[in-house]
Amino acid sequence: MPIKYIGRTLDYQGKTLWEIVGNLKNFGVGRIVVRSSFERYPEPSYMKIVKVETLPNPEISTPDDVRKVRVFVEKIFRGRKHPALVKIERVSYKADYRLIPKDKEAEYCRSDAPAMQMKILPKTMSFPPLLKELIIREMKASGKEVTEEPQLQIVYRQTRESYYRVTEEGETPNAEVYSGFGKTKSPSLYKNIKL
Amino acid sequence: MLKALNNFKLLSMTCETFSPNSLYQQSVRWGRKPLWFPTAKSKLFRVSPRKRLPKEEEVEKRRLYNSYRTQVKSIKQYLEEKYSLENQEAFDEEKHKMEIEEDFIQCSEINDKWNEEIKKSREERVEKELQESIEDAKRRLEKRLKIYAEQRETAEEAVRQVKEASQHFITPDKLDAAIEYAINNPVDYNFALDLDGNKIRGRETKPPSKIEPEKISAKA
Repeated sequence: MPIKYIGRTLDYQGKTLWEIVGNLKNFGVGRIVVRSSFERYPEPSYMKIVKVETLPNPEISTPDDVRKVRVFVEKIFRGRKHPALVKIERVSYKADYRLIPKDKEAEYCRSDAPAMQMKILPKTMSFPPLLKELIIREMKASGKEVTEEPQLQIVYRQTRESYYRVTEEGETPNAEVYSGFGKTKSPSLYKNIKL
Repeated sequence: MLKALNNFKLLSMTCETFSPNSLYQQSVRWGRKPLWFPTAKSKLFRVSPRKRLPKEEEVEKRRLYNSYRTQVKSIKQYLEEKYSLENQEAFDEEKHKMEIEEDFIQCSEINDKWNEEIKKSREERVEKELQESIEDAKRRLEKRLKIYAEQRETAEEAVRQVKEASQHFITPDKLDAAIEYAINNPVDYNFALDLDGNKIRGRETKPPSKIEPEKISAKA
């Protein structure tokens, strides 16, 4: 009888990290492991195992509580190597890891592969129309001279994987941040609409 | 109601042989199960397929949401900075201190006034209480003195009675005379009764003639 799985569908594809590492010689130190969900990017993303520390098996092994493992890896994310070793422990239970066979390693980890480009983002953008009008009126009311349009300082969120920075003095940004609707990447959606 | 009528109309339109005969009436169920009913057994393990947006739409949605979040975050920070700065400018420490001092002086004046009033009433009350307690003490003293006087009076009365009685005491001087008297006047407490109930005193001695014969009546 075929097994029919009930419940949430996942985007994960593969095994948990312990399932891979626990079956390898020397816990797979030196081997290449891939997170399947990072394979959606055009640039290669992979991890080279450097050190493995085992963790105890859960008392009652269930699909919701699988064995974890502490693995230190050299992480290459979208063709860019992370400066320090990255520890994988809390996410090691995710059944999303894939081992790269030894004969495919060289092909997968090409040194001439494209890498993620640093984005240089603008420092400011224009205010929303109503707020802009309000600010101009306030400035006029307080006796200030309005020579140029007031600009809104943009707040960017920085994470471990984010690879962008704000423009420095005299630099031109290579990416755009729009105020309001912006510029669509899918014009076919707005085919008969006047934007 | 209107809906029901409408449905009725629909039914009549679809069934050509519709008759108002209640025998042929069929109830029609509209809509879904009531909300408080549990999931049907047949639907228990049904998992509706995951919704997938077309690639274009997904990309566009992500772009719009990212843009929206960045803008809102930026505006939020701008407003926070602006109003916190304005608040700082509006806050004058010297003025604030002055206000606090003035307020304190005002409060202090009111407090002093209240204290004065309370002091006045307190003094009055204490004076009254003192007078009352003095009077009470006087009253109690008088009462106590009266009791002492009465006690002395009763004691003196008792002494006087004893003194009076002591005149008849048999002292060594009077002993011989008393013996003489006792010998000369013997007392005989014996008596006899006759049938009429007369008491006849004396057995060996003659009773004094002065004594009237007593009569004893038998009690019923």
